[in-house]
Amino acid sequence: MSAQGRALVVDDSNVNRRLLVRRLESLGLTVEEAENGRLALDRLESGNGIDVVLLDVMMPELDGYETLAAMKADERLRHIPVLIVSGVEEQDSVVRCIELGATDYLTKPINPSILAARINASLAAKRLHDLEQESYERQAALNRTIQRQKEELSRFLSPQVAALVSSNEGEQLLAGHRREITVAFCDLRGFTSFAEKADPEELMTLLNEYHRMMGEAIMAHEGTLEHFAGDGVMVFFNDPLPQDNHVERAVRMALQMRDRFAELADEWRHRGYELGFGVGIAVGYATLGRIGFEGRHDYGAIGNVTILASRLSSQARAGQILLAHRVIALLDGRAELESVGQLTLKGLSQPVDAWNVLAMPAAEVAELVPDGA
Amino acid sequence: MQPADPPILDQAVLAELLASTGDDPEFVRELLETYLAETPQQLDAISAAIAADDAATLVRPAHTLKSSSATMGAMRLSALARELEMAGRSGALEAGLRRLAEDAATAWLGTADALHAWLSEHAA
Repeated sequence: MSAQGRALVVDDSNVNRRLLVRRLESLGLTVEEAENGRLALDRLESGNGIDVVLLDVMMPELDGYETLAAMKADERLRHIPVLIVSGVEEQDSVVRCIELGATDYLTKPINPSILAARINASLAAKRLHDLEQESYERQAALNRTIQRQKEELSRFLSPQVAALVSSNEGEQLLAGHRREITVAFCDLRGFTSFAEKADPEELMTLLNEYHRMMGEAIMAHEGTLEHFAGDGVMVFFNDPLPQDNHVERAVRMALQMRDRFAELADEWRHRGYELGFGVGIAVGYATLGRIGFEGRHDYGAIGNVTILASRLSSQARAGQILLAHRVIALLDGRAELESVGQLTLKGLSQPVDAWNVLAMPAAEVAELVPDGA
Repeated sequence: MQPADPPILDQAVLAELLASTGDDPEFVRELLETYLAETPQQLDAISAAIAADDAATLVRPAHTLKSSSATMGAMRLSALARELEMAGRSGALEAGLRRLAEDAATAWLGTADALHAWLSEHAA
């Protein structure tokens, strides 16, 4: 019978300690020795590797009871099995030690067969504990990694995309799919000259306030933020999660943004900067999925619809929310509009009709917009 | 000495020790030498405790001596150490205790002789 493991023999009698070490070595264990409880605790606290402790009761410095109590009080040591080594006349102290948490006991003179049986039982218990601990730690580490990845993702991605990435159908959607989406492109008029004149702190303050405001409106209407690029923001709807009223959501989001931006623009006008907010909205089919290269991917939309929304946004004057023709058709008269006539857009061969949104009655779809904007 | 006294050296214990450690006389020799070296220290500690009228301090060396002596087959010394331990635990350092300590010292001399004899018999 051969046992794998490392034992610590604690006994102040050199004779008894040497004999026990010898017996344990012949069982196949690696054995360390300590002359008293104090030295044993020093050894145990210095790091682990001890699988079983054989503890004498009566010792100088720190006796068996004190050593056992200290081990059981220590989170790192309490799971190590302790076998009490006692004389036949010391049954009372054995009981006390078992109550203190000792695993079992051995009576001197030690019977080699009983020693082997007790050691094997203790090592088996220790191995089981170690396996449980390992498995628990692996699981905990895995959970921490997953949690961290989710947090990282939700910092870089919109909440919808972050949720999608960690879902089962995520991989399929990320691989690429085609769907009708509504795209809203927003940017600022006067931003370039502002960026030239303002100092970096002012620029960052403005961008932070602006992005926070945009972020709130995007969240409130459950838009998917494709990207922020300076003053430019692209948001789309109906993907990755389908939305029945995606056109309307986009328009309402743009209206909320325009209202909020008016307050911000007032504030900045007092500081001597003239800034205006413009939006372009288009609806159509796009290819969506993972775009980029290994290590830096975005969840993005590609198609004429994004180009159209972007071009409309560039044409919008301060305060305008320009809608493409198909958006009007899908809104079905629910918004108050004004025609801005035909616009010639860069990259498009034909001029396009466009409308500016003036207002949209809130009542019908109040449940859509949590903050009632 | 009374007839019921345990033997100075129980040869059977040493034989058993030899057998149970893989018939390795070298190991038993090493163990005996360890015992021969540490026992005088324990006897000294016992005498010092008695001289200082300190019952509590007597208990541990007496206990260790009882145990290690039993391991080596030194049964008479083990029995005397046991009596010393119990006297120490009772807290009463009576006159009989000095006598007991002297008996232990005498038993030790006989034990050491017997062990040396065993060592010569089992010399490599």
